[in-house]
Amino acid sequence: MDLLAHLLDPWFIGLICGGTLMGIVFGAIPGMTATMAVAVCLPLTFSLGLVNGLALLLSLYVGGITGGLVPAILLGIPGTPSSITTTFDGFPMAQRGEGEKALKIAIIASVVGGLVSLVALYFFAPVLAKFAIKFSYVEKFLIIFFALTVMAALSKDMLLGIFSGVLGIFLSLIGTYDITNGGNGHTRLIPPGMDYWLDGGFALLPVLIGIFGVTVILEEAEKGMPRGQSLKDIEVGPHSRFSFSIFRGQTTNLLRSGGIGTFVGILPGVGGSAASILSYTAAKTTSRHPERFGKGEPAGVIASEAGNNGLTGGALVPLLSLGIPGDSTTALLIGAFALQGIQVGPLFISQNLDTWNAMITAMVISNLVMLVTMYFAIRWFAMVIAVPKQILYPFILMMCVIGAYTINYGIIFDVWTLLIFGVFGWLMVKLRLEVAPFIIGFILGPSAEIYFVKSLESFGDPFIFFTKSWIAAVLWILIVASIVMSVILSRRNQGDGAMPT
Amino acid sequence: MNISRRTLLTAASTVALLAQPMAAAAQDLPRNVRMVIGSSSTGGDTYQNASILADALSDHLGVNIRVDPVGASEAFKALARDSRGTTIMMHHDQSYLQELYGVEGSPDIFAETIVGPTISVNPGNAYLVPADSPYESMEDILAAAEAGERVRVAIQPGGVSEIGFTAMRNAARMRAPGSEENIVAVNTGDQADKNQAMWDDLADVINGSIQANEQFTQMPPDDPTAMRFIWITATPETLNQAPEEGLGETTREDMLTFAAPAVSVPMTDEEDFTFDKEFFLMFNPDTDPAIIETIDTAMEEIYAEGEIQDRFLSSFFTPDYRPMAEAQEHLQSKNDDYETIISDLKPE
Repeated sequence: MDLLAHLLDPWFIGLICGGTLMGIVFGAIPGMTATMAVAVCLPLTFSLGLVNGLALLLSLYVGGITGGLVPAILLGIPGTPSSITTTFDGFPMAQRGEGEKALKIAIIASVVGGLVSLVALYFFAPVLAKFAIKFSYVEKFLIIFFALTVMAALSKDMLLGIFSGVLGIFLSLIGTYDITNGGNGHTRLIPPGMDYWLDGGFALLPVLIGIFGVTVILEEAEKGMPRGQSLKDIEVGPHSRFSFSIFRGQTTNLLRSGGIGTFVGILPGVGGSAASILSYTAAKTTSRHPERFGKGEPAGVIASEAGNNGLTGGALVPLLSLGIPGDSTTALLIGAFALQGIQVGPLFISQNLDTWNAMITAMVISNLVMLVTMYFAIRWFAMVIAVPKQILYPFILMMCVIGAYTINYGIIFDVWTLLIFGVFGWLMVKLRLEVAPFIIGFILGPSAEIYFVKSLESFGDPFIFFTKSWIAAVLWILIVASIVMSVILSRRNQGDGAMPT
Repeated sequence: MNISRRTLLTAASTVALLAQPMAAAAQDLPRNVRMVIGSSSTGGDTYQNASILADALSDHLGVNIRVDPVGASEAFKALARDSRGTTIMMHHDQSYLQELYGVEGSPDIFAETIVGPTISVNPGNAYLVPADSPYESMEDILAAAEAGERVRVAIQPGGVSEIGFTAMRNAARMRAPGSEENIVAVNTGDQADKNQAMWDDLADVINGSIQANEQFTQMPPDDPTAMRFIWITATPETLNQAPEEGLGETTREDMLTFAAPAVSVPMTDEEDFTFDKEFFLMFNPDTDPAIIETIDTAMEEIYAEGEIQDRFLSSFFTPDYRPMAEAQEHLQSKNDDYETIISDLKPE
């Protein structure tokens, strides 16, 4: 009956609708993220009460993660780190006039991924949490390593791709080996005289929007002033129209990607971006046409978006079953519980059934609101392509600067990071280095280092990576399979090119 | 009666003079104040305490105070840059402990900032063992170390998490010199890492907190995540101020059975080691003293009103306002006590 009361409460429903819309807007603006949307609204939750506050924050989370697909597809700039892989196929689709189709595919995949993870969350949260604690430093390192092997599969030139990835890892390690992550608190790799600015390293989001956002703007500037696309360019002919038949044969891809997203989400510390990267790679390596990936293959968009929305429910599993957040956004959700004086831990669900049901309800409604809103608002989203570039790009640049400045609560060096990596990204293309492996290396590098070092520190045996558990053995099989598939794909695609970078 | 211009001016001046004490509180302060905190988490106790104080100060002074969880390093940088009073910092004992532990880049807060009033205490700092651990008490742990058994303690080095570990080693050394070498640190990251270290059997004891770990102590003993409290470091005076019903299923009375004097971890021959994790403000050393005075006075008035105490207690924190001068003396004294045992236990 409590659940019915929530469903009939216009305030509860209104907050979900408002939160979802606001989340979509945050996710859709390059430089703004789901995490920022939740952070901005967190202080409001004290006055809203626990259930309404959580309804707002969870809707922001769902909307924010999904909103990231809009700039990823239309502009090639991921709105959130977890939508990087959406750019790989979504942007080429938009470039060939299938923006609306790509958006619709992505939205439906997002909803399916979100609902798959919610089913897992609702029915299996305690069981999944018990499974998650079997993942020690060793298994977590192997998952990160597995995700890193993707670098090879995403490269046009395997050697240059791996070099770019290693460069990304190297740059991600600049700064303090942070005590809060289990490090020793010492700084390393900082150029002389830069300690003041670089002791915290380069922040991820400014690097990401610099590489994807500013680089795109610089490339366009270099080309001069091209004709803006018109709405006619977005949807060319009946062959490019969206139809549900696109999903024929994609059920496995949808469910697998949603499942991978959920699984990555339940592992604290692995990071949300790994979800979409792994889903995308799984889709590519099991596809009959892997050569189409990176050139506008709908299955790539489906995998990426089902994967990153699968994360939304998955990341709540350790939060609500162990009191441990699964990603950076759910870490903010702990604040909402803490501000209300509610303990989150293994007894949370059994002691707070009403809150638990309300949370799941809020997320289901939010997914549906997101589907309806985005599906029918696509024409307006897609109009961004028709905006003349001399107006659009300065606006994007401004939003990137604002996003970079605000992501860590006002650090001006983050704006410099944005610009430095914007220019660096532009130079990378000139030098034939590859952006996708670089950014994957940059995102996963710090976690790889920590889990690798901690594995050795804790077990004192380099062979522990092979002997720790059956999970480690399974992960090694996946790693070897991924490397072998990458080599086969690389050979098959030699001279053809696999990825736009 | 004719109202002359002089009468009007006199009346207006009188009203202005009468209103002055009320307005004075806020007029020294900028309209927008940024409270940077030494944690980058919004889910932790630092953010919670800062939010409670910022809300109360905002209401009382009529200015906007925003809490920014930027982390210790960025918070100290932001504080050092701004002497206008628009940036103030809130943190806890970690801010001087990390300097005592030699963490790279840590400032000496007593020399480089003005340490301000204390705010509250988190009485939850605790140590836990697995539910099926052979150690039933701290006495068992110290005896095991004396017997040559290696006891692994999961901590986050360089601060609040490590100070209890240092105290354990100090107690072991007092009991049997050399046995402190058998109490070894397992350096981990956040609370999730410490819990995981226990579940992976990498640690025999973990640092935790009543708030984060209490539910695990209520799990059935055969559950792989089940734990037991073995030591709560707060002083009995602080714990006695906590709500009688405690937190979750653990009452205040239960908590007192894990704290001094029921659990003894000697610091000296006469005194047990205790540690209250205290939150306090810090200011840029060049801040206008009137601004600092305004905040200190406002806090005194807020605590005198009594409402803020309820908010702290409902979140399981203990209100702990000490005016500026008293707070400085108190924190300096804590710093000196801990400095002694930390330096005594430093490797040669």
